[in-house]
Amino acid sequence: MIVDATQGRALRMTLDGEEVRFSDGETIYEVATRQHTPIPTLCYDPRLEPFGGCRMCVVEVEGARTPVASCTTPATAGMVVRTKNVALEKHRKTLLELVVSENREVDVDPLRGYASQEVATLVDEYGARTGRFQGQRSGTSNETDDNPFIKRDYDLCISCYRCVRVCAEQEGDHAIAVMNRGFQTQITTEFNGRLKDSACTFCGQCVQTCPTGALGDIKAMRAEPLPGELKKTRTICPYCGVGCSVDLLTKGERLVGVQPAMDGPANKGALCIKGQFAFDFVHHEERLKTPLVRGDDGELHEASWDEALDRAADGFRRAREEHGRYSIYGVASGRAPHEAAYTMQKFIRAGFGTNYIDNCSRA
Amino acid sequence: MALLSNSDIIEHWKSAAAPLLPVLHAFHDRDGHLSEDALRAVSDGLGIPIAELFGSVTFYHHFAREAGGRDAPRVCTGNICALRGAHELLDALRSEGATPMPCAGRCDQPIPVLRGDKVFVGLTADSLAHGPTPLPPRYPGDGEECVFSAIREPGRATLPGYRNSGGYEGLEKLIKSGSPGETIELVNESKLAGRGGAGFPTGRKWQAVADAEGESKFIVCNADEGEPGCFKDRAIMDHDPHAVLEGMIIAGYACGAGQGFIYLRYEYPETFAGLERAIADADAAGLLGENILGSGFSFRIDVRRGAGAYICGEEGSLLNSLEGKHPFPRNRPPFPVTHGYNQQPTAVNNVETLASVPHIARRGAAWYCALGIGDQAGTKLISLSGDIERPGNYEVPLGLPLQTLLNDWAGGAPHGREIQAVTMAGLSGGFLAGADLNVTLDEPSIRSCGSFLGAGGVIVFDDSRDMVKAARDAMEFFAHESCGKCFPCRIGTQRLTERLAGEAGPASLADWKTEVEDIGSTMRATSACGLGVAAPMITDSLMKYFPDKVEKHVQT
Repeated sequence: MIVDATQGRALRMTLDGEEVRFSDGETIYEVATRQHTPIPTLCYDPRLEPFGGCRMCVVEVEGARTPVASCTTPATAGMVVRTKNVALEKHRKTLLELVVSENREVDVDPLRGYASQEVATLVDEYGARTGRFQGQRSGTSNETDDNPFIKRDYDLCISCYRCVRVCAEQEGDHAIAVMNRGFQTQITTEFNGRLKDSACTFCGQCVQTCPTGALGDIKAMRAEPLPGELKKTRTICPYCGVGCSVDLLTKGERLVGVQPAMDGPANKGALCIKGQFAFDFVHHEERLKTPLVRGDDGELHEASWDEALDRAADGFRRAREEHGRYSIYGVASGRAPHEAAYTMQKFIRAGFGTNYIDNCSRA
Repeated sequence: MALLSNSDIIEHWKSAAAPLLPVLHAFHDRDGHLSEDALRAVSDGLGIPIAELFGSVTFYHHFAREAGGRDAPRVCTGNICALRGAHELLDALRSEGATPMPCAGRCDQPIPVLRGDKVFVGLTADSLAHGPTPLPPRYPGDGEECVFSAIREPGRATLPGYRNSGGYEGLEKLIKSGSPGETIELVNESKLAGRGGAGFPTGRKWQAVADAEGESKFIVCNADEGEPGCFKDRAIMDHDPHAVLEGMIIAGYACGAGQGFIYLRYEYPETFAGLERAIADADAAGLLGENILGSGFSFRIDVRRGAGAYICGEEGSLLNSLEGKHPFPRNRPPFPVTHGYNQQPTAVNNVETLASVPHIARRGAAWYCALGIGDQAGTKLISLSGDIERPGNYEVPLGLPLQTLLNDWAGGAPHGREIQAVTMAGLSGGFLAGADLNVTLDEPSIRSCGSFLGAGGVIVFDDSRDMVKAARDAMEFFAHESCGKCFPCRIGTQRLTERLAGEAGPASLADWKTEVEDIGSTMRATSACGLGVAAPMITDSLMKYFPDKVEKHVQT
């Protein structure tokens, strides 16, 4: 039971005619979500501070003159809330028609990003492809930013500020700026420049929270023309030891992209540049698939693991005999988890009798 | 004098309250624009991420990013100036790099042109002249004024002149023989309500701040006066600045606040200098600062200049702007009375509201209440402009018939013309026309016509004016000033402007009206702040009073 600690008794409100309990500090939207009452949103990302921009989540509260944004309004005891009625649904449809009218297109390939289908899905749900409210379009795509990771297709931007907020609140980079105001609002970076000249670390979180695909994953988008169904497979990022949950995107036998798992316990939708974008090695033609050992001819030759390990062990043994134990220096990989790093230092300390052991993460 | 270095400027302001705006102005004044180098220095010095700082600077239309931009002429092309040839004047000054600016709050004078720290007015390029803010016209009513009751006294703008005409007597009375609780009670009894437009009872606001928990409390005087057709607050600040200060000190005493800010719009540079002078004089006389009049109560006031953004008159935006954040409106609740400046309890009051307080303190709540007509308590300043014989600021008893103000007090439409329509609340209340011109000047009467009195700007259009054009100019202003935070306002003001301009929209009248009504209805119901809620009153009232003109507009 959810109880307000200060009162020692349950707080109650009425949601669509049903009495529900809530705890102090919850917003109407959070209570509704917990009650499995869907409320549409566009600017909402549960990881971020509620913003109240898109106004899709407005609900009626008895006694209030106008509908209120459920994402920013705290639930209060005795509140009577309606999340859906003819008037609210009409406002939501009008808002979506306005959004459609400001964009070049609504339909984008899901390869653009995790949330890229949000607008199109809601537009279809509300039948908002009416062509009403025609006029100027907003946002100017940045065609000159030649970074290899993030497409900046602002013709599709609806100024929900999720990218701005995720960059500041989640990543702490504060790389994304809001330039101008009103219909001239333009999402950009400092001095309207390129991402690589900004504080951006190319973590890709802005791409994955974008509800329109205005920010796109360039590497994944390379696979748009490939045939076959897009499949997601949950796994753990193979890089460092944090253990970020990711969904690998595949088409047929080909890995075409990576998306962070929003419910990943270690990362909650976050990734770094490597986990997000550095997967080309998987299908790279020069990728090593077997051990190689150098022959008497000076060239590398394919070998079995036993041959390779024997050769390495011989080398270490010889170095210690000829040059002493301090000639050995171990560097553990930052990709290794804790347990492997522990084993590595044990191997160097106990095996060779030296404390010359470090980790590449310190470099 | 040697120019201040980047670090001189930053060091000077770094530990001041609300430092970002004055730091930016210091660089803007020194360099004539805000260079990348300056912004990077500010970002480092104040610890504000450069992307956020850059974005916020672009939000304000008076911060120039190009060399020489600060001092290039800005010509008011606001709704009234546009009727008087502002675009021709702008063209005449283009060679000097002139750019347009929205209503600069001098609608009772010829067209204002802002050049750096000075405002010139004139109808043509060679007649531009610099001069003082006009005093309110001689009181034409048979009642009594409050805010303007002493404003015409000689020397009233100086400390000695102010004290000679009863100034600071109210403060002295309250602080020496009253208490904060009694002060709030007095304001409650006077029924004084917010004169900036929202009409919230001032005493209740102060009580909420006094009752709220907080490490420190603040009084913010909203002097942003951005509403087109409103210029009353400047008249008070220029001719009676100590009334504003005294009102703030009393508010601070009542609420338990130690710091006050005056958030002044950029377009009033002379007013800025005048307020700074008045604060220095009050400080020197022991009326501000530590231990005011030996009471143990301390209070300081700082003036902060905006930089060109109508939305900063909305209190959430204003507070964000003061704090150096991106000036979007804040989500409410919580309200400023508990979570205002720096999340501390804050009373945000309009200039006129605060300037009423010293008179109430001196002459009593009953006196103030009785100034209104019938059930209405007190007075309201009306800025009257447009097609009217005697434009200017008038202090009306609440409940005065609009027609009395227009015809008996201000001489009606000039050149024998008829009044076709007036705006209410500057532009935010849309138009009133026809039989609805028979309202009385008070909220219940005006609201019954679907409009509101708001900050008290009334713009008059005579029967020669194109009302569709007037509506388009108004909506263009709202679109220009929409902050871009919420969808209905950001897209809605743009779409309504395009439809009023004939640039987009259905060709059939029925479809055109449905689109305009649907946009308006959603803006009213779902916008995040008053701008988006009010803007469709323009289209609603246009369709209500001038259906034939709308029909003609759509069909041609």
